[in-house]
Amino acid sequence: MNMDSTTALAADAQLIKAIEGGDERALSQLYRLHWPMVSHFVLQNSGTEDDARDVYQEGVMVFYEKVREGSLELSCQIKTYLYAVCRRLWLKRLTSKSRLHGVRLLDEEEYGPYLNTGAEDDVQEAEERDRRFATMSEALTHLGEPYRSLLEGFYLLDKSMLDLTAEHGYTNADTAKTQKYKCLTRLKKLFFASYKEA
Amino acid sequence: MQTEADYYALFEAYQRGELAAGARASLEARLGAEQRLGQLYAEYLDLTGTLTAYGERRRTRQTISGLHEAMLAAEATPAFEEKESGGLAYAVNPRLSLSRTEQKLREFWSGHRATVGVAASVAVLAVFSTLTGLSLWHSYNTPAASGVRELRREVAQIVRSQKALIRKVDNQRGDAPTPPVRDNKFSGTSFALTADGYLVTSAHVIKGADSLLVEGRDHQRYHAETVYTDGKHDLAILRIKDRDFKTFGRLPYTFKAGQADLGERVYTLGYPREDVVYGEGALSARTGYDGDTAFYQVSIPLNPGNSGGPLLDGQGNLIGVVSSRQDDVLGAAFATKSSYLVRLVDSLKNHQPAAAYRLPHANQLAGAARAQQVKRLQDFVFVVKVYE
Repeated sequence: MNMDSTTALAADAQLIKAIEGGDERALSQLYRLHWPMVSHFVLQNSGTEDDARDVYQEGVMVFYEKVREGSLELSCQIKTYLYAVCRRLWLKRLTSKSRLHGVRLLDEEEYGPYLNTGAEDDVQEAEERDRRFATMSEALTHLGEPYRSLLEGFYLLDKSMLDLTAEHGYTNADTAKTQKYKCLTRLKKLFFASYKEA
Repeated sequence: MQTEADYYALFEAYQRGELAAGARASLEARLGAEQRLGQLYAEYLDLTGTLTAYGERRRTRQTISGLHEAMLAAEATPAFEEKESGGLAYAVNPRLSLSRTEQKLREFWSGHRATVGVAASVAVLAVFSTLTGLSLWHSYNTPAASGVRELRREVAQIVRSQKALIRKVDNQRGDAPTPPVRDNKFSGTSFALTADGYLVTSAHVIKGADSLLVEGRDHQRYHAETVYTDGKHDLAILRIKDRDFKTFGRLPYTFKAGQADLGERVYTLGYPREDVVYGEGALSARTGYDGDTAFYQVSIPLNPGNSGGPLLDGQGNLIGVVSSRQDDVLGAAFATKSSYLVRLVDSLKNHQPAAAYRLPHANQLAGAARAQQVKRLQDFVFVVKVYE
């Protein structure tokens, strides 16, 4: 892979801009571009095809959310960043499920250039976010029906109050709204309680 | 005024910019001034923010997952489009197209390398331990004490020419129809104890027998029954039960009550095969296997079928009853001492005074050459056929 790195970086920047703007085709392009590299890495390090897919998607997710947030600080090429992120994710998985002590990845020696990508921090951040979402999901489940689907409809699925009124059989939109706020208070209790525990 | 839920309504309206200017200003003032309200607002933001983000996350996940499917589908067509859109010219790592089966195999192998390794070693271990176990078990299952082989002969199903002769002889004798000649399971040797039909053999020869047949050199056949068994010294006393049996004739040998000497030239007659076999050697030791004082060790080459045969010294004295041989030592065979036989007969006499055990008292073999001794002796040595 010998090419001018400035050209590469420029291309990267362009791609990021497109994704930030919501261009799904750009994301698709990026996805296909870096898949072989990550897939190869995971398979070489005792992973299955399914493992590779899971890790890659998680890695792309980290990248994507940072980009959408506008908080991605890239000091290297996208492929380097993605490699670092996926590597970190895979290492975590291996150590958690490994019966042996001390997991060694096959690229330990060449890993030098990946050390300053900021991938570590970003993965950490993503992990915290994941925890939050998991707690939220759990709290929603504990809420029970019909409250759960009401909140899910409004906040997660972006449905309008009118639609929800009809779905849940409320008298009018105001009744539905009041109900929604009541659900929120209950959810809040659940969410903060378990988030503190975690 | 308000419950928490009511405040939420306010907050939501505020966020959406639905509040009138006056209401908005008053809320902002309160948020700045009232700590509790400020906190409530922060929590509201946190909660709804997380909810919304969570929704986004779910959508993104679906999108990305969809990308994967699309990518796999598009792989059928080469990706020239990459060059056209956005001018990207990445040289992508060549993708090996593995067949589905190969992929599955690779996944399986890399996932199970360690397990397969363990399984393989266990399998190897199991095979070797089974083989070892089997050979050990097999060696333990050989009869008698380890290393010692009893000399009862196991008979194979071979057609014997004697059968025809036997039938002929029986018919001539005018017997009641004889039982059909069946093959016996085991055979050994026995010899006459008294003239009137008592015989001696080894206890192990008749072990498990349902019926016994005693057969002489002239193919005379007699039915016999067990009178007494002494397992400890491997002795058994039989008796002919055919009603028309009269006598063996006068026994030419006598039973030595005492010990024989080391180095004594000894010999035996027996049936390791259908025809009688002569064997000779010397008295090698005054004790038997493992120092058993009831037995002699002799250097006669003996084989299965010899068990129960007579052991005689140079003067034609009956000094022992052939019992077994040692497998792992060359030239070591064992015979029960005649003293034990004599003692046995004495005790039988005492317990059953009615039964008469008239042991021979005149030795007619002493002084005769070996071959002559054998000639006289062989009329009193028989095959014992054991039927189960």
